[in-house]
Amino acid sequence: MNAGKLSTGDRQVTFENVSKFYGDVLGVNRVNLSIPPGITGLVGPNGSGKTTLMNLMVGLIRPSRGRVSVFGLGPDDPEGLFRLVGYAAQYDSFPPGLNGYQFVESYLRVHGFSAKESEALAWKAIERVGLTEAAGRKVAGYSKGMRQRIRLAQALSHEPSVLVLDEPLNGLDPMARAEAIALFRELADGGLHVIVSSHILHEVDLISDQVVLIHGGYIVAEGDIGDVRDEMEEDHPVQVLVRCDRPSLLASRVFEADHVVEARILEDGQGLLVRTRDADSFHLALNRIVLENGLAVDGVAPADSDVNAVYQYLIGSNGEKQ
Amino acid sequence: MSDIVTAAAPAARTGLPWGRWWNQLRAVVRLELRKGFRRSFGLLLLALAPISIVVLRMIVPHGVQDPSSVEGATQFYSGLYQAFFMRIVIFLACVSIFGNLIRRETLDRSLHYYFLSPVRRELLVVAKYLTGLIVSFGLFGVATVFSFLLAYLPHQPEAVSRFFFHGPGLEHLASYLLVTFLACVGYGAVFLFFGFFFKSPALPALAVFGLEGINFLLPPLLKKVSVIHYLQSLCPVQMSEGPIAILADAPAPWVSVLGLLTLAVVLIAVSAWKIRHMEITYDEA
Repeated sequence: MNAGKLSTGDRQVTFENVSKFYGDVLGVNRVNLSIPPGITGLVGPNGSGKTTLMNLMVGLIRPSRGRVSVFGLGPDDPEGLFRLVGYAAQYDSFPPGLNGYQFVESYLRVHGFSAKESEALAWKAIERVGLTEAAGRKVAGYSKGMRQRIRLAQALSHEPSVLVLDEPLNGLDPMARAEAIALFRELADGGLHVIVSSHILHEVDLISDQVVLIHGGYIVAEGDIGDVRDEMEEDHPVQVLVRCDRPSLLASRVFEADHVVEARILEDGQGLLVRTRDADSFHLALNRIVLENGLAVDGVAPADSDVNAVYQYLIGSNGEKQ
Repeated sequence: MSDIVTAAAPAARTGLPWGRWWNQLRAVVRLELRKGFRRSFGLLLLALAPISIVVLRMIVPHGVQDPSSVEGATQFYSGLYQAFFMRIVIFLACVSIFGNLIRRETLDRSLHYYFLSPVRRELLVVAKYLTGLIVSFGLFGVATVFSFLLAYLPHQPEAVSRFFFHGPGLEHLASYLLVTFLACVGYGAVFLFFGFFFKSPALPALAVFGLEGINFLLPPLLKKVSVIHYLQSLCPVQMSEGPIAILADAPAPWVSVLGLLTLAVVLIAVSAWKIRHMEITYDEA
């Protein structure tokens, strides 16, 4: 199956009413998802169901109910599915006795590539993750970060269309982390689906085109993080931080608008924190107030539109879906 | 980066399925040999055990009663092969080799790498079984040849030459090699099967060991469901099973060969069905 020939509609990773139970224990429940190309961040605390979702995606586990498909292919067609999908699982384990190059090359041969193709693809993947010099060393002697990178190399070595990465930044030092994020971006810009899980919210916020927020086995939100935040404006007014020279004046003017529910002058007296149920209207009003009163504005920034804030609002302090 | 998507159809994928499966089978066997049997000192010791006993017979005083006749060597080797080599050495080796083909990768949490490759899981089972056969028959086939030849070494060269080139010597050797091969085929399939259905194949292996050990006491019908019954019938020299043995007609050679091959095919087919529905849940291993 050539992924390049598929229409955009077919190039989706879809979950249709998928549930997975481990005996009586809930893994994920009633998941309906459609994941488009780009970087998708799968976000949730440990035990929320991220790995279950990823393992379902690649058929390492089967759904108790529902159907999972990647570009129309299910896990019952491994020969088709795994030409399209690369998965770097969270398991920090490797076949014994192999060096980095042998590890990547051997599984390319299992894919069915010739010796020559396998060698070329293996070196290309190893180079991409910056492990060329260490490729001749036994994987057992690698640091955690190197093991993470060689797993990434193995997952992307056959040049898949969908790359599924379970906590791929764990164990990486800041430099390697930045390089890995740049690589994900490069792959996503090339049309790949890069599905990344993390329990570190700001990390996902930085790299994702869209997010899937999961908690307790349920999907609590999905999509562009800004859109998700906008949908929550009624229950959780958006916070906007405005740095300006006369915050008192600004506060009195913004209160004239119905959608503003709170305006608090910052402790340093150099700005205002506004809570509004309509961010778009607020920004229009702000422009007007600034022009009419000649305010000097240093900056306007959302204060709670990141994944972290959205997640907290959705989950609530007691950890239940709201 | 656009090449990433368009490169999703390498040349290896465009061939006929049989050609691709053959390449994948060879790749799995290559990888299994590389990672699974690098330092198998235990297996080497097992293979050396019968050879050591033959060498002991050569060096202990009066170990060889009559060097001018090879009959003693034939009887000695027959006893050694059937009581020790076939029943214990090959049996234990097959438990170790085949019982761990899946189990070992579940324990070291590396089985998912295969499951994430575009290879049919049925083919994976066949490839692993073939790897086990290559290792077991490679090792114990060589041990069979060496121990057999060494058993005749202390005897007079003329008598040995007559036995091998004008007597049944080479036929005996071929029969023992066939039995070694079929033992690996039969026990291999049994322990590969156990590897899928039991968390630890040691206990069922012990049960099978016990049953095979008391095979001579079993009624004829039960004898027919054991591997040793068919292997023994193919041995060139039949040994007495003692005064309390319950006798049963030995199956015809073709029945033994076909029976063991059929057993292997059935067990591999069930294992293939099992792996097709297998999930990776290492935490339960």
